[in-house]
Formats: sequence, structure tokens, C-alpha cells
Amino acid sequence: MSDSADFERLVERFYAPLYQFAFSLTRAEADACDLTQQTFTIWAAKGHQLRDPSKVKAWLFTTLHREFLDSRRRQTRFPHLELDALEAELPTVAPAAISRLDVAHVLDLLGRVDEVFQAPVALFYLQDYSYLEIAGILGVPLGTVKSRLARGLGQLQQLLARDITAGQPPQAL
Amino acid sequence: MNLVDAKTHLLRYRPGTTDAADPLVNEALALAKISPELACWLEAQSAGLTVLRGRFRQIAPPAGLKEQILSEFAASQRAMARRRLLGVTLAVICVLVATLANLWPPRRATENPLVLYQNRMVRIAMGGYAMDLLTNDPGSIRAYLAQHQAPADFTLPVPLQHTALMGCAVRDWRGARVSLICFRTGKPLPPGVASDLWLFVVDRASVGNAPNPNAPQFARVSRLITATWTEGNNLYLLGVQGPESDLRQYLL
Repeated sequence: MSDSADFERLVERFYAPLYQFAFSLTRAEADACDLTQQTFTIWAAKGHQLRDPSKVKAWLFTTLHREFLDSRRRQTRFPHLELDALEAELPTVAPAAISRLDVAHVLDLLGRVDEVFQAPVALFYLQDYSYLEIAGILGVPLGTVKSRLARGLGQLQQLLARDITAGQPPQAL
Repeated sequence: MNLVDAKTHLLRYRPGTTDAADPLVNEALALAKISPELACWLEAQSAGLTVLRGRFRQIAPPAGLKEQILSEFAASQRAMARRRLLGVTLAVICVLVATLANLWPPRRATENPLVLYQNRMVRIAMGGYAMDLLTNDPGSIRAYLAQHQAPADFTLPVPLQHTALMGCAVRDWRGARVSLICFRTGKPLPPGVASDLWLFVVDRASVGNAPNPNAPQFARVSRLITATWTEGNNLYLLGVQGPESDLRQYLL
């Protein structure tokens, strides 16, 4: 897949989900655009090395995540809310209350989850990837993905409950 | 598995996906079927999951992102094509330069008959030739050369007229006869060597780029210092071993 027509079809198909993943990780439009753009640039240079066409999507997500981690390493880590270990009792959050939250607020909550949990949680919500596929994209063992998902989703649940209980307005991104 | 464990595992359960195939999720789902409390929690959790998935999927790329990606790709393709063209051009130039570098000097040599003539005559002088006629009589030499259709009407520079004459030989150069007149400088010679100063005379028309009549041109060819000049219809080549000054004394 090297000519312009093939590339255009690839972009048409994947640029939106890749951007969603990038925005979930960065919560900044410019950074998400850069990550998406960079992912396709890398594809243009190295994509021909991929032999199995069925793995294109996973390859793109893996590349985007790797680029995100690289860019994070170059930056000062941003402060985020440290939560205690998963509380013994998970709070129940009413779906009606969740439905009042907009995208910005949901992503703000995700940004307050431990950073290592953010990518698996974003993939969990954005795509119908299996745990095994998420493990492949993130380059971690299957058990680690399950653990990170449980802990990340648990933290998100707690943050949702706190915000909704406190009636906090959505924080600006 | 207690209820707390079950909730932890069911957090990562998405209805309609392969999540239920996970043994722990599957076990928690089984527990939810017999526990009204867990079933109620799971129902709320699933509804909340649906809402959150919807929120995540509402993230919309900014207008123009796709076009920007395609534009950047096209630009990079053009730049790559330019780099490829530049690379090919440089490679072609390198091949041409290498080819010219290999071919140019020999071609120049082959295209310069005078140089070829000088090289050939010097090789004759240095190559252990045999004189056809051994004599110190100029008249006999001229007669022998004329008899063998070699130039015999040559004019010797005055100093050479007083140099010891040893004999002569006739050689060929591209179909033309060459007169070889052999002299001796007076320096000690190895045994069996009779001459150490040689004058070659040939019809100047047989050497394509013979020099114009003027002062001799000096050039070192192999181990000899040579002087080449023309006079009348003849081309003269005088050679001797040693520095240029040794040769000049025979031309003044």
C-alpha cells in the first residue's frame, strides 16, 4: 500500500478513531492532531514493512501510542490526582448522572486517572478491541492489561462518583 | 468470588464483545445471575458504560485534519521524488566522471601521435636494437639510409656534427621509414653497448601533430630526455640519458 489512492483510503478509514485515541491521551487538539499526523507519516515511511493487512489498524494504534509515550518522555510530567489503591467497595454511579457529563468532563476525569492506566481505558471505551488486542497495541502482557483496566476503570468510577456527589462543574481542558 | 471481586472484574466487561470469554469475567457474570444486588449493580454499570463509550466516541477530529494529513503526504512524496531524482542524477554524474576519468588519459595519449611516436622511438633506443650499419662515415650512413627509403637529407645541428658517429638503422613508423642515427657521447658505456645518443628522423607528415618549426621541445620520455623539432620536411627526435643540459649541448 504505497500509492496515493491507497494512502487516502487508509486515512479516510482510520484518521478519526486514531484522533479520538490521541485526544483521549493528550486532551489537547493540537497535540492530538500532531500525534495523528505523525502516525500516518511513520506509516508512509515504514508501513510497507507490514506484511499482514489485517494488522494495519493495530499497527497504527500501536505507533500512535508509542509516539505519545516518546513525546511524554520529552516533556515534564504533568501533575495529576493521585488516588489511593482501588477502594474495596466500588461506588455505584447512576447512568443518568453520567449522561449529564459532556466529553470534555469525561476526558478531564480520564486525565486524572493514573497515567499508566489512561491508554488502556481509552482503548477500552473507544474500540471494541479484545484484551489481547489492547495488550498487543500497548506492548504489555495480557494480565497486565486486565489489571490496568480494572484499576483504571475503578479510579474513573471513583472520580465520577466524587464529581457527581460534589456537583463539581467540569474542569476546563 | 465475592461481590467486591465480581464488581472489579465486571468493570471491564463490555456487553456484546469477547470480554465475557475471560474466565474471571465469566465467573462474575454467573454470580450476577444469582445475586440480585450484583445484577442491579451490573445493570447500572452497563448503562453507565454505554454512556461513557458514547462520550468517548463523540470526540470529533477538527475540520481539515484529514486534508492536512493528505497534503503532508503529497508534499513528502514530492520531496522523496526530488531526493530520488537527485540521487539518480548524482549517480549518473559519478558514473560519467568515473568513465571519463578512466578513458580520458588513454584517449588523449592515443590521440596524440607525437607522444606515441616519441614513446615508440624511445622504446627502440632503450630496447637493445641492432644497428644495420656500423660506421663513423656520414656519407656511408646517408647512402645506406637513402638506399632503404629512409630520410637521408637530414640536417644535423652543428654540435652533433662533431659528435662521434657510430652507425645507423632503419625502422618503421606507421608505414613510414625512420632513420636512426647513433652517436656516442664519450661517457663510459656498459659492455656490448655501442651508442648512448640517438637521433631519429622521419617525414614530418607521418606524425600527425608534429611541432611547428621553432625551438626544440624538451620532454622526458621513460629514462631519456628528448628534444623534438622540425626542419624542412623532417621531424627530428634526439634522445640521451641524463639531465636536459646534457642534451642541450648537442643542439646549440
